[in-house]
Amino acid sequence: MQYSSIHEWITFTDLMSNPYVPFDTYNLPFDIGYRLWEILGGLIAWLVNLIWPGNPISIWLVDEQVLVLFGLILFMVIIFLVAFVVCLLVLWMERKVMGRMMDRRGTMIGLKGFMQCVGDGFKTFMKENTIPTKVDKMTYIWCVSLIVGLSCLVACMIPLSYRWYVVDYDSGLLIIMAFFALAPFLILVSGWAQNNKYSLIGGMRAAELMISYEVPMLIIIATVSLMAGSFNIGDIIYFQNEHLWNIVPMCIGAVVFFACAVAEAERVPFDIAEAEAELVEGWQTEYAGMKWGLIMLGDYLRGTVSCGMFTILFLGGWTLPFIGDASQWAYLPIPELVFLLKNFLVFFFMILTRCALARVRTDQILNIGWKVFMPLAVVNLMIVVLLKDGGVF
Amino acid sequence: MAMKYLDKYPKNLAKSGWVLKPLVTVLRLFAKTATRKPVTVLYPYEKEWIPDNYRGRPGLRFDKCVGCGMCVRMCPTACIKLVEVADDDGKMVMRPQVNLGRCAMCGYCAEYCPVDAMTVTPEYELAEYTRFDLIYGPRRLHYEGTTEGMEVKLEVTLPSDIENGNPERRVSLFDLDRPELIDNKCIGCKKCAKVCPVDAIEMVEKGVNDKGRPILRPIIDNGKCISCKNCVLDCPKDALVIKEVL
Repeated sequence: MQYSSIHEWITFTDLMSNPYVPFDTYNLPFDIGYRLWEILGGLIAWLVNLIWPGNPISIWLVDEQVLVLFGLILFMVIIFLVAFVVCLLVLWMERKVMGRMMDRRGTMIGLKGFMQCVGDGFKTFMKENTIPTKVDKMTYIWCVSLIVGLSCLVACMIPLSYRWYVVDYDSGLLIIMAFFALAPFLILVSGWAQNNKYSLIGGMRAAELMISYEVPMLIIIATVSLMAGSFNIGDIIYFQNEHLWNIVPMCIGAVVFFACAVAEAERVPFDIAEAEAELVEGWQTEYAGMKWGLIMLGDYLRGTVSCGMFTILFLGGWTLPFIGDASQWAYLPIPELVFLLKNFLVFFFMILTRCALARVRTDQILNIGWKVFMPLAVVNLMIVVLLKDGGVF
Repeated sequence: MAMKYLDKYPKNLAKSGWVLKPLVTVLRLFAKTATRKPVTVLYPYEKEWIPDNYRGRPGLRFDKCVGCGMCVRMCPTACIKLVEVADDDGKMVMRPQVNLGRCAMCGYCAEYCPVDAMTVTPEYELAEYTRFDLIYGPRRLHYEGTTEGMEVKLEVTLPSDIENGNPERRVSLFDLDRPELIDNKCIGCKKCAKVCPVDAIEMVEKGVNDKGRPILRPIIDNGKCISCKNCVLDCPKDALVIKEVL
């Protein structure tokens, strides 16, 4: 029997020399996934080859196309894991910071309270899966999966840096906003499906909330892309890096977008769909156990996405002034960390609003949306048009 | 219509602060709380500060106790009871037993104890699984590390009062009151000598009566007496009364 060295199976060739790689530029999570599969698949191939030398499976496992296939699967897992951990960090941060804002301690279980999130997830996972008898079962179950799935999808689509993205395409901002705005429809449908007055009112309120904040939000997004001249997220960020962060010329728009982002994530000043003080748990009333836990996870994923959108549109994304995107130190994860830190900063202000402000009424949100946010968004658009026309940018 | 809606809000939004005011308040509070410890005390892990001579559960110094029953009589909730236990030499003696389910932690037993055997202790974590477990026997009442302040002298109202330059003291009734004999009522039954916990009463012959029998009269040793009133209470003819004698 002929012994073949493991080095023949695990060969760290250059990623971009592989003609089947689906990315035009270097992609860090895909690189990690690709290398991981080179190690894993190469090990399996080597072991199988030791038993049956020259078998086709071993050769298939380290084939260039198969490497890309499994690399993409691991790439998806890595992207999701990072989004998930960021979501847990945000949850932990909310609990601790909100505790300090109320002069208490927040969660205290393990690692300064971080393990409480894991414990909560485990607890909801252990609960019985109950479905009320009189609900529309199909819609009831599918709505929660679609809401959580959409939230996960949007959270994964937020790029963390010029090398940490899923797809780099020219209408990236529009696609993310489209998926982001889908969830309130499903909330309405699930509120209807639950055959419960609280859920129905919650779903109706979600629809009402959506018609009030979505229009000014889209106007501001259009304003930002008008400023940068592109819907591509990278272009918007590098435009801000070249000139000025958008938060300076578009300060009115930033404030309005922040309020709209809070409404989009259904957080406290605008959480009228899930008003636990008035409507038991709003549209989530009939969801219990793991379903409720997943909805909570989806809520916080959407919160992180809101923060990410604010960071991309107004805070210059992964760039820093004078440093840029730190591509001269490409071996350090500086742009990713910068992006996440800006995310957490925005989320801190979300927690601040949650602690300081009371929930608005249903008629007030319509008034605020159409009589305050809408004119402010248009004023913001006019300022940007003037700046563009005057040749400032 | 629009004006009617706007009337609900304060006239000058900028002056009233509107949204910014609560935000600034919370941010200032956060800046304050982030740098110092929060007010929450993690109770089972971190104990609260206990003042000097904190009146927790009562404690007993078994060897000092004479079993006079003063605490039993003084207890406002009647949670103390004298029970018979064996002391270190195996002799049966009467010692107090406290039902902490009823105890109000007032510290009167420690205050009125004539020999300072009853004390207060700083123990306050007294939860038990059954009511029976709440009854503390004389041995269980023992507390290590009794300090002088825990004895709660009757003449001292508050130790902190004296520390703060307020040395006015009450006069202890153990220094003033003594039992006194009304001679014509006494029948010489020796009961007072039997109940005296410190053996301060001695029966002395004082001549003979008409039938030729000896007349017995109690003589009270004021130095030994702790004015526990046991003799006064047990006298069948009310021949002994408490009076200010000293």
